[in-house]
Amino acid sequence: MSAVSDFPDWGDPHSPANSYRLSQGYITDTFPQTSVPNMVTAVLADYRGYDTMFETVVIFTAGIAIIGILRRYGPKDKVIPEQKLYKKEPDLIVETTCRLMIPIIQLFALYVVAHGHHSPGGGFQGGVIFGASFILLALARDLQAAQKWVPESRILKLAGTGIFIYAGFGFLCLLLGSNFLDYAILHKVMGVTPIEARSHSMLGVEIGVAFTVTAIMFSIYSNLASNGYMKEGL
Amino acid sequence: MINEIICIVMVLSGLLFFVGGAIGIIRFPDFYTRMHAAGKGDTMSVFLILMGMAIYQLNDFSLANLLVAGKIFFITIFIMWAGPTSTHALIKAGIDEGQKVWTRKDEKGDPEA
Repeated sequence: MSAVSDFPDWGDPHSPANSYRLSQGYITDTFPQTSVPNMVTAVLADYRGYDTMFETVVIFTAGIAIIGILRRYGPKDKVIPEQKLYKKEPDLIVETTCRLMIPIIQLFALYVVAHGHHSPGGGFQGGVIFGASFILLALARDLQAAQKWVPESRILKLAGTGIFIYAGFGFLCLLLGSNFLDYAILHKVMGVTPIEARSHSMLGVEIGVAFTVTAIMFSIYSNLASNGYMKEGL
Repeated sequence: MINEIICIVMVLSGLLFFVGGAIGIIRFPDFYTRMHAAGKGDTMSVFLILMGMAIYQLNDFSLANLLVAGKIFFITIFIMWAGPTSTHALIKAGIDEGQKVWTRKDEKGDPEA
């Protein structure tokens, strides 16, 4: 408690964190260097791009671990008592609402992903919203209805594709003769100025993050909800 | 000025509905009446509060403010759309699960029934 009282005031412009030249540098240089108005995204996807790439890998690993621990194959073992499941007669009101709402949720998720470098948002948030739309479908109908769109085989492919896109941007930079994830060199293939290339590449890696997060979100839900059998459940 | 008065009136009446919903959740005797209070109160009060904020945004009229007001309006539509549906789904789940409907007889017996 005594240490807390020594903290600088909330929003104090002269606090060490705000007056240090690094944060000043980000605030003044982000837009001229990357043409991205949202400096949080610029730090996340460009200056600290290596870190964010492995955050995506962490999510992928978490998804693999969930599948490895929870997934069960073969017929249901009788040791676990049958869950009491409600009879699934489709409900007209819920189904109609979800049918109208899921496309809008997915459209909004794409907006959040695509707008990540202009306003709050980005790959992680958009991916979670996109995954939630599939979870809503699974809740409103049943797990099979959602698995028609994201079957188990596709989940891992999607998650891998996301990391592949992210790392691919990095290796593309290497191939063109720059450092790993140094996006400015990509202007050679994009046909824009080096500064705009950084902005566009950020969108690219955000899309990669969104792929992984979407797939792993739904994978975690479906494994938990169906007791690992991925057949029936909520 | 007139915008601000409309905004204040709408937000205050929205808070009134929120209070009603909160009291209803605590005071009503069974699952269905509680869901009724929660669903009705929240839908109406969120509508009123958010519409009040949208009107407040239009105080000094510009394209950016109109955009913000439009986004608030869309949020309102979504809540009015999703709230009643989720209330319906919850009550249907309650019926499937076999929740008892409160009757006046329960009041005279033990209150836990």
